[in-house]
Amino acid sequence: MGRYVLQRLFYMVFTLFLITTLTFFLMKLLPGSPLQNQEKLTAEQREVILEKYGLNDPVPVQYVRYMKNLVQGDLGISFKYDNREVSTIIGERIGPSAQLGFQALMIGTLIGILLGSIAALRHNTWVDYGSTVISVLGISVPSFVLAALLQYYVGVELRWLPVAMWKGFEYTILPTLALSVFVIAQVSRFMRTEMIEVLHSDYILLARAKGISGSGIILKHALRNALIPVITILGPMAVNLMTGTLVIERIFAVPGLGEQFVLSIMVNDYTIIMGITIFYSALFILIVFIVDILYGIIDPRIRLAGGKS
Amino acid sequence: MDKAQNEKQLKINPELFQPAEYDPSKVEVITRPSLTFWKDASRRLLQNRGATFGLILLTIILCFALFAPIFSSYKYSDQNLRHAKLPPKMPYIEKLGVMDGKDKDGFDWYATKKVDKYYYFGTDDLGRDQWTRIWTGARISLLIGLIAASVDLLIGVMYGGISGYYGGRLDTIMQRLVEVLMGVPYLIVVILFILLFEEPGVLTISLAMVVTGWVSMSRVVRGQILKLKNQEYVLASRTLGSPDGRLIFKHLLPNVMGPIIVMTMFTIPSAIFAEAFLSFIGLGIKPPLASLGSLVSDGYKSIRTYPHLMMYPALVISSLILSFNLVADGLRDALDPKMRK
Repeated sequence: MGRYVLQRLFYMVFTLFLITTLTFFLMKLLPGSPLQNQEKLTAEQREVILEKYGLNDPVPVQYVRYMKNLVQGDLGISFKYDNREVSTIIGERIGPSAQLGFQALMIGTLIGILLGSIAALRHNTWVDYGSTVISVLGISVPSFVLAALLQYYVGVELRWLPVAMWKGFEYTILPTLALSVFVIAQVSRFMRTEMIEVLHSDYILLARAKGISGSGIILKHALRNALIPVITILGPMAVNLMTGTLVIERIFAVPGLGEQFVLSIMVNDYTIIMGITIFYSALFILIVFIVDILYGIIDPRIRLAGGKS
Repeated sequence: MDKAQNEKQLKINPELFQPAEYDPSKVEVITRPSLTFWKDASRRLLQNRGATFGLILLTIILCFALFAPIFSSYKYSDQNLRHAKLPPKMPYIEKLGVMDGKDKDGFDWYATKKVDKYYYFGTDDLGRDQWTRIWTGARISLLIGLIAASVDLLIGVMYGGISGYYGGRLDTIMQRLVEVLMGVPYLIVVILFILLFEEPGVLTISLAMVVTGWVSMSRVVRGQILKLKNQEYVLASRTLGSPDGRLIFKHLLPNVMGPIIVMTMFTIPSAIFAEAFLSFIGLGIKPPLASLGSLVSDGYKSIRTYPHLMMYPALVISSLILSFNLVADGLRDALDPKMRK
């Protein structure tokens, strides 16, 4: 186990290093420039700015400098927001995004488990079909379409909830809902298949033969075993939420990381684009790692080391 | 019971005791058409109600995408500012009280602006016919999906096939690379690659999706090849001296076809979704050309005043993705009942 974790940690660092390198050189290849929108720059002013950001040095020198700073947690300074550090901007912006993502994951998983289990318990009845339809729809309707519809009908027409902005809990409800529908769909689909499989297994039959009550079987035996594989889809789910926030935050004007990313793309603020890309990748790699370890701990049947090949 | 009556009841005559026709050469003739794997699979697919519904929906959308722009009297780029921002109006259906040229407040814009034409899905802010634009957009979205899926297929099958078939050290190295690529969030990579091009077109957008998109296909193919390459029929062929190429193309690939098709069917909708996503953050197809995603995105900007500009493309893109998902789900169950998950 310890060896496995170490090995995984090494690969994580290596992957992150490759991603950073790739992103860095991609940024150097990009056609636009963060300075192109400010037309009133004289040649000398331009020179001063280029010197200030170290953009006159050869690319390898810039690369080594960037990597050195990165190891110390310094992601450079933004081109657009005068002298503001990228890491500070990420720090300020991460709060709303994390809250949205967490709420959506929690609500989505809970409702998904509930929906999936009920569908499995009422297999081949209208309840089952209804839940299947909901999950297929949830996967097919893009989250931004749903977000726009929710905003228009619930926010603008019905005026039940605020349309946009970020000033309190009621402002988080619509974006959370829009984000969680995909989670609900995925989890309930997965849960349903797992639950059906578990309900047909021998140990459930044994439990029934021993005379354990229906609810006891479902809660103590079926649900517990069916839940384990659901953990595996939490990784992809988290990534989906992460990229989902890019548009959802834009639609609901949430001052989060995703909104900042899109904003920076539009004005060629390369240091911020790089910083957020690296941050997202690191987060993703970490989540996948944690999920893998968790899976090994929760289900002792899965041996982590040497499980492959 | 007397004897005569009994005989009459039984009606036994010598003709009933003729030997049956026996031709040894015809014993093994198969009387019914044999079901091949694909026939069996298509039968299973059509039994699946969801998949059948998906197929019908997909066919309808495909027909509209192919023919609606041809038969339309407008072009997707035709502008007519005097006819801008008209609500939808469709012949026949208008009598039902929907799509009758009135906006949400019941105001008839066609009468006010003295327009005697029909714009089935209304017009946008430049007076372009939304019906033509939506179906042209569907074409573009489908094209992006198809290109991305086929390039994914090509690279994924080759990479996964080589990695799985040759195995050993080569496999280890190739899989390390795959693990690194899996570690990058998909849409973020796509965004970075799109940024490389100043004017993203259909081809650049599709190719940006391939950059890491092929990885999942290669993993599926590798897994299958690993499982199949030591099967008896492959070993038998190898013993008979078949070269690698023959083994791969004649024996292995046809047996991996099922998972490959399923994977491709899942790639198309996700590419369509990814393009729409890009459009929404301003990196997709540039006007006057349109994709379903860019139409939704444009429509969103005026959703409060002209909801129809967003509703119809949103409906089409959702149905398109839905139909692909349903068919892919059905195919997965039909092609490999064991893969159900």
